[in-house]
Amino acid sequence: MSLVATYRALFLASFQSFAAYRIQSLLWMLFAIVRPVIFLAAWVAVATAQGGTVGGYTIGDFAAYYVCLTFVNQLVLAWNSQEFEWEVNQGRLSAKLLRPLHPLHYAVVDNVVFKASTLPVLVVILILISISFDARYETQPWHVLVFIPSVLLAAGLTFFFNWIIASLAFWATRMNTANTLWNRASFVFAGQIAPISLMPGWLQAISYALPFWYMQGAPTEILRGGVTPERALFILAGQAAWLAVCFVAFQVIWRRGVRAYSAVGA
Amino acid sequence: MIRYARIARTFLGAEVKNELAYRLNFFLGILEMVLVIGTSIGAVLVLFTQTASLNGWSLPQMIALTGVYYLVQGGVNVVFAPSFEKLMEHVRLGTLDFTLLKPANTQFLVSTRHFRVVRLVDLLFGASVVIVGLVMLGSVVTPWSVVTFLITLACGVACVYALLLSLVTLAFWFVRVDNILAIFWAFTDAGRFPIDLYPGWLRLTLATIVPIGIAVTVPAEAISGRMSLETFLGMLAGTAFSVGFASWFWRRGLKSYTGASA
Amino acid sequence: MSEAVVDVRALEKIYKVHERSTGIGATVGSLFRRTWKDVPAVARIDFSIASGEVVGFLGPNGAGKTTTLKMLSGLLYPTGGDATVLGYTPWKRDYAFLRRIALLMGNRTQLVWDIPAADSFLVLKQIYGVEDGDFRRRLDELVELLELQPLIHKPVRQLSLGERMKVEFAAGLLHGPDVVFLDEPTLGLDVSMQARIRTFVAELNKRTGATILLTSHYMDDIVALCKRVIVIHHGKILYDGGLADLAERMAPYKVVGATLRDGAAETDLSRYGELMSKDDAGRVKLKVPRAEAPARTARLVADLGDAIADLSLEDPPIEDVIDRVFSGEQLLGAEAEPVAAR
Repeated sequence: MSLVATYRALFLASFQSFAAYRIQSLLWMLFAIVRPVIFLAAWVAVATAQGGTVGGYTIGDFAAYYVCLTFVNQLVLAWNSQEFEWEVNQGRLSAKLLRPLHPLHYAVVDNVVFKASTLPVLVVILILISISFDARYETQPWHVLVFIPSVLLAAGLTFFFNWIIASLAFWATRMNTANTLWNRASFVFAGQIAPISLMPGWLQAISYALPFWYMQGAPTEILRGGVTPERALFILAGQAAWLAVCFVAFQVIWRRGVRAYSAVGA
Repeated sequence: MIRYARIARTFLGAEVKNELAYRLNFFLGILEMVLVIGTSIGAVLVLFTQTASLNGWSLPQMIALTGVYYLVQGGVNVVFAPSFEKLMEHVRLGTLDFTLLKPANTQFLVSTRHFRVVRLVDLLFGASVVIVGLVMLGSVVTPWSVVTFLITLACGVACVYALLLSLVTLAFWFVRVDNILAIFWAFTDAGRFPIDLYPGWLRLTLATIVPIGIAVTVPAEAISGRMSLETFLGMLAGTAFSVGFASWFWRRGLKSYTGASA
Repeated sequence: MSEAVVDVRALEKIYKVHERSTGIGATVGSLFRRTWKDVPAVARIDFSIASGEVVGFLGPNGAGKTTTLKMLSGLLYPTGGDATVLGYTPWKRDYAFLRRIALLMGNRTQLVWDIPAADSFLVLKQIYGVEDGDFRRRLDELVELLELQPLIHKPVRQLSLGERMKVEFAAGLLHGPDVVFLDEPTLGLDVSMQARIRTFVAELNKRTGATILLTSHYMDDIVALCKRVIVIHHGKILYDGGLADLAERMAPYKVVGATLRDGAAETDLSRYGELMSKDDAGRVKLKVPRAEAPARTARLVADLGDAIADLSLEDPPIEDVIDRVFSGEQLLGAEAEPVAAR
């Protein structure tokens, strides 16, 4: 079966099963919106105390940043590490490994279906937030053009990095710790607490070195506009580099993991 | 009263033995909490590199508030949240009957049945962070602020308890209330900042239907000497009302479950 | 005659069920106006149970057995009638009342899954306020009777179904109840475990004098434990009296089983009884009117003598008896004639 035909079949199945999770998915979005909203409120308070601007960001800029961040987050998120442990325990992974199809394809399809189905509602909510906070965008057409490959790179990067964490389930007894590390690292370095330029210097340096900012904060900046072509290029390069690293690591770790798993009698 | 305290202590004791048996898990759980609280404080510190006040809250006050945030979470998660989770299961599987057969108050039993001992650590860490904030605040701490702090903290946890109990009571009629509870948990994150930071509609929500907001903000105000008498009295009244309502609603649910005609 | 421990008068439980008919018209109509139908789960029943009795509740699914038990243990409010257990009104749920009763439900567990049963026992001790001495004594007795020693210190989730039921039993009896309600206690258990539970229940009644009311699908439970049986169907009591008595009334016949050689099985046996079954090995079963059973058996032996390899005279299978009761062949009143009259 060609990959295209396979994907078509997977998509159909995924869309159908998604119908059962509609409400849960909308609730999940609620989770995803609360945090940026409260940090936005916090920065608005900071900016107000400082006379309207903080580090070059006005209230409108902050609003635009967080709206874009939420949008980007929705487009790039991956949850393999949360499902994986359950799949291993339930024996569903074994079933997937038996088939002539890499398990990641199922995850990719589910991922896309979820995003496609929930995005419309999210966009409406974000537009409302945008209006109520008087968000200020500096987006130009070329920003949007660059944003598309950037967000795709970010999504790929997030997916594979998260898959690597998921693979730890082959060896770790307690995945909760790995998930907590992933969540908190994203929290600190991906740009959820603040736009990267507002972070203390040393924290900025670490954020540029780690992949997390390239998953969320970086494409956010491109979408919001206000980035120079040089910075945009820098972002794309960083994303591509990290994606390459993660992809290679994913191959290696996954193969080792499956071997360890099969050795115990999958 | 003493009997109920002893019953709760037995519930706790059984769970302690069980959780401590998995020592690695326990310690990892503690480490995770350290990481979570640490990064939350880090977020507050980042905000304060750009300002000296957050809507009138100073850094020591915000640190104290962060501590209260985890204290309230610990208070709810150490016994009430796990007990209510199990309660929904019991209603679904029909094993609530066993609880009804016991010669003890049903509301008490279902609220304290299951402890999650590792969350006691949340309480410990939360309290430590509050103390750090107080040390930074220095002379602001008075006996009155400590007393009102403890009272309003208990009130805050009670309000959240009342909300959870009310939501879980819906299970008598709707069986699956997981989604409704998930809505509550989604808003919990908003407790990490004082509610006066938020736009009106959110502030109102966090003060009434999802009381995590006032549960954290009011005790934090109390301990940092910011709390007005009106707020204190309002908190007491609100707590009495919500706990009273939740208990009444629970009894109604139970009556419906056992087929009482009125 | 000892005072009644359980006294039930005109007890009634009617459920209001939303009536649904098919068809689009009806479905749309139901959006605006719901019609409710009364479904009587228990329809005005009366009975009394004396202290120390072991009574069996027999009836098909949905007959009202569990509903009755739930009302007697205080879990359910009736829609009509009265009941007293140990002098209390059950659904008032007096703590003093709850301390003296127990309800054990087959296949349902009250024990906490993750902790050893021994810890759950301590919790129950606390809730019921059992004195240390009584607790120790009863626990030791239950452990001995049910062979629980290796089981109580393992987390409950590690026990097999049979082991779990045994531990459940112990948990339910630690507070020394005077009245024990058992709802399908051997449900889902294998044959040997069922037998063990039966022995245990009999022992329990003997040692503690507890009044036991049990419902079951398995005739063997009823036959092994209950001298008195209450048959319930469609929420009404069809029979209340001795089990043996029931058999005599409902199935006034006996079964003669014989293994016949030399082709004797092929002959006409109708003068001895009605042929129920016959197989190739020469085993036959004959239905014989109860009163004539000795005479007919004697005739059979006299006539066929040497051809008889094996002979037995048995009561009718109890399932047969019960089926007759349910099919209403002879719908008996709520109270059977006193045994003394026979």
